[in-house]
Amino acid sequence: MRVGIVCPYTWDVPGGVQAHVRDLADSLLELGHEVSVLTPVDDPEEADLPPYVVPAGRAVPVPYNGSVARLAFGPLSLTRTRRWLRDGHFDVLHIHEPTVPSLSMLACFTASGPIVATFHTATARSLALQVFGTVLQPGLEKITGRIAVSPAARRVVVEHLGGDAVLIPNGVDVRRFQGAQPLSRAGGGPTISFLGRIDEPRKGLAVLLEALPELVELVPDVRLLVAGPGDVEEVAETIPPSLRGHVELLGLVSDADKPRVYASGDVYCAPNTHGESFGIVLIESMATGTPVVASDLEAFRRVLEDGRAGVLVPVADPAALAAALADLLADPDRRKQLAEVGRETVQQYDWQTVTARIVEVYETVVAAVPRDTEFAVDVDHAVDAFADDLAGDDDDPSRLSAALRRWLSRTPS
Amino acid sequence: MAQPHAVVTELVVILAALVLLAAYVTWTAGRLDRLHARVDAAWAGLDAQLVRRAAAARALVPYVADPPRATELDEAAHGALEAGDEARETVENDLSRALRAAVPTLSAGAPVEELRAAASRVALARSFHNAAVNDTRTIRWRRIPRLLRLAGHRAMPAYFEIDDTALAG
Repeated sequence: MRVGIVCPYTWDVPGGVQAHVRDLADSLLELGHEVSVLTPVDDPEEADLPPYVVPAGRAVPVPYNGSVARLAFGPLSLTRTRRWLRDGHFDVLHIHEPTVPSLSMLACFTASGPIVATFHTATARSLALQVFGTVLQPGLEKITGRIAVSPAARRVVVEHLGGDAVLIPNGVDVRRFQGAQPLSRAGGGPTISFLGRIDEPRKGLAVLLEALPELVELVPDVRLLVAGPGDVEEVAETIPPSLRGHVELLGLVSDADKPRVYASGDVYCAPNTHGESFGIVLIESMATGTPVVASDLEAFRRVLEDGRAGVLVPVADPAALAAALADLLADPDRRKQLAEVGRETVQQYDWQTVTARIVEVYETVVAAVPRDTEFAVDVDHAVDAFADDLAGDDDDPSRLSAALRRWLSRTPS
Repeated sequence: MAQPHAVVTELVVILAALVLLAAYVTWTAGRLDRLHARVDAAWAGLDAQLVRRAAAARALVPYVADPPRATELDEAAHGALEAGDEARETVENDLSRALRAAVPTLSAGAPVEELRAAASRVALARSFHNAAVNDTRTIRWRRIPRLLRLAGHRAMPAYFEIDDTALAG
């Protein structure tokens, strides 16, 4: 299949949507599909773009939804979007975040034929939707298949746009985490690993440290392996001196070492207090075969399948956390069983599985598009093939094909 | 007697309003046309996936160990393939139920993958169909399209509601 993907945010600025588009494009290519990605790029020379990326120019920073979004919207972006759509001959067009006033919206208004859209935003208070909802509606009506990456994103679609969306979660590169080796380290002892910003309260490291005194009482030789960006000194000062020997603060680790941090733990702990929409850390940990003890948040409960694939503890309750961690550390059989269930559970989040489901959406959408558009697409192909044949002649092929297209569109199908 | 100047202004305002209304009506009629085409196409897509599911169900009949269940599945699949549009939801629900009873009893070698593929596409196609129906109905229920009958004689599109969750996973 020839797939055209539109990413509304600047490619060379890190972000969740960009990462999603990149991983999706890579795994579509791996499955043998053709992919072209239209996206704003700030610096095409420096960005080291994959061959499938078509830069649509620079994006302009605009204050939006409480933060600064970099958006591409204007006559130049419109021209480039049009040209990309015309030359692409896509079997299906996959637009990300079509309500963001950027390339996605332009593509949505310009394109015809099978369109799939993925909604990422989980914030219900989308400024664009509130102000421009009615204006956007005619463009959004062209979308045949809607995908939401989380139940929260799906709720936004249902509330603001009406109608449903198919839930397909974000993919995780599960293979990168499978078979990870523990970090070589001094001293043994039962180990609990933690990965995340150490100075961000909602990641819950403070809760885990508060649970430490009780945990040491239950498991005297316990070790905490903490990795993630943040001020290591500052965090170390919050730990009572008598307990510092139990905690190893690694600071920021490289991407290559991340799987090894998970794998170094006998148990992985996710004591997050709120604000998690997906639970990617749990999936990564389970992929390395490390069982998880996590706060009972909606997103975590879903990933852990109500406790079948991991242990859920009350949110921000150090005593309960210490007890649950000690229980699991003392029970190797249960750990082994959870590791097995975990490895099997994460398969559904693997990019290969997720991409297969997205391709299923493409196929369903292609089968559910009005016939006359299919005819138009066929005409385009035929005309271009014809123009290619004539390309050696002195006649200008673009003028010829434009005239032919006009003539054919008058012919009844 | 009205000032001639005021009459002209009034005429201009009325004319402008008429032009705006005409533009809105033309545009909305075109929009409804596209929406109806989308519903028709979505239904054709859904219909194709339902037929595929019924065919996959029939292929499973020889592998159902329990004879009453085999008969039930055969009849349900048959009914789904034969039914007209009005009875469609009922017969497809019957098929879902017969499948749920039969699938756990299948013997080895049954072509269950084809059924799974068809069932998950039924769920997708149904979601897309109902979204198209929803978009169309929203516009058709607005005041001006309703008063001016901008949808012409086309029937109000209906949602297609069946239980397709069991085998989609």
